[in-house]
Amino acid sequence: MTGLRATPVLASAAALVVAVIAQLVVIGPLPLPFGRPDLVLVLLACIALIEGPATGAVLGFGAGLLGDLLSLHVLGQLALVFCLVGYLVGMLGAEVEGSVAASLVVIAGSAAVATVGYAAISAILGDPALSPRSVVPHAAGSAGYALLVAPFLFPLVAAALRRVEGGRAVR
Amino acid sequence: MGRDTRRTRLLLAILLAATFTLVTIDYRTGRAGSGARGAAQSVFGPVETAASAVVRPVGRTASSLTHPNRYHDRADRLAQQNAQLRRQLASNAAVTQEAAQLSALRLIADRGQYTIAPARVTSVGDVTGTDWTVTINAGRADGIKADELVLNEAGLVGTVVTVSATSSTVRLICDPDSHIGARLEKTHLLGAIAGGNGPNSLSFTLYDASFQVRKGDRLVTFGSLDYAAGVPIGVVTKVLDSGSGLSRTAEVTPYVNVGTLDTVGIIVARPARDPGDRVLPPLPVPAPKKPATRAPVAPTATGPATTGPATGGPTATGPATGGPLAPGGTR
Repeated sequence: MTGLRATPVLASAAALVVAVIAQLVVIGPLPLPFGRPDLVLVLLACIALIEGPATGAVLGFGAGLLGDLLSLHVLGQLALVFCLVGYLVGMLGAEVEGSVAASLVVIAGSAAVATVGYAAISAILGDPALSPRSVVPHAAGSAGYALLVAPFLFPLVAAALRRVEGGRAVR
Repeated sequence: MGRDTRRTRLLLAILLAATFTLVTIDYRTGRAGSGARGAAQSVFGPVETAASAVVRPVGRTASSLTHPNRYHDRADRLAQQNAQLRRQLASNAAVTQEAAQLSALRLIADRGQYTIAPARVTSVGDVTGTDWTVTINAGRADGIKADELVLNEAGLVGTVVTVSATSSTVRLICDPDSHIGARLEKTHLLGAIAGGNGPNSLSFTLYDASFQVRKGDRLVTFGSLDYAAGVPIGVVTKVLDSGSGLSRTAEVTPYVNVGTLDTVGIIVARPARDPGDRVLPPLPVPAPKKPATRAPVAPTATGPATTGPATGGPTATGPATGGPLAPGGTR
């Protein structure tokens, strides 16, 4: 499952838009320590795990760009991070297929990598999103939150994508 | 592994090139809201407002259901009735709280004779949760323009950065990029207040090193052509003596708790005269350090302002200029 196919990509894109809004409206105001559960990233990782690197990269780019547009930081930072994360997670998809634990580890790892990557890029551009001291706790926090969210989200995403594809493609 | 075809790698290369182009262009041309950003905000602002309107009651119901329900196994009917009443109480409490916030906001605006547009916070931060911004459900249609000050009943919240038709983005005072002119109470020495030290601390730089900043001094906005004067900011908690520098810095605790922002007001018009220090809450009468000089004036004019319920606007306006605030009349 390497290429891009229209139906799953469009369905996933719609889900990601909803996730971006939910992230801003529902998760953003929650008073939580060590960052927030990153709904968008976890959803992206789930989709990329199932659909592969091409879909992961494209959707990561799109979701990141939307996040960039709805913020004040330099445009393209989040698009870059999410695009890379989508691609890398997609590459790992074949390795971890069928193993729940390995999938969870990949999703949590991707959340941590994205946090560190975003902090690094924003620091390079001269407007650090996180202070050097808080990068590690935030990365650990986002991995932890991802571990909490992913067990609920991943089966949903898998079922939805299977349904959207209508049993047409066989993995 | 079969997933990493040449086409996929080409696709990734194209996407990465696109992100680098975006970063470069946006970084070079400054961070002003470009057309795409404005468009995205005007599409998603109303969506966020609607989503927040849906989510708020759900959260309220959820919180009312978490109370232990003792009647559950005794009678279903009673249980249901009970739950419904609790929901109603919770929603009444929310309405009462909102009304209290609005009247407190009204009082602080009246004291400074600011004309404010009320708004609610619809979303907090950006997707990464690292921007110190909030989105509010008022925009160009409500007369809001960029750079206007945003306050709540406690004091200064931040400044408006981008405005779409029905929503705006507010940069909070604790954002690292936030710099606002400020002065100490009872002086007219210019300084600046900046964020970047987390939500509960601001740094104040006074440009005149000969003046002694003391712990407990209170700060208000300085005022300029762009923004209103006299809005309370916070209290100095620690003076960081820089030694022989040309300026003095101090740590300031803001009056506003950015974690619990809900109802805010945007100052869309302000009096022709600087409101001075009268927007600050009155000092406690048994002052611990020394008797405050404005103690005889303050309690009668602004005494009930912070705690009293809505006792009507006119009594709360400043002693000198009297008269109720005619909304929009000064423009």
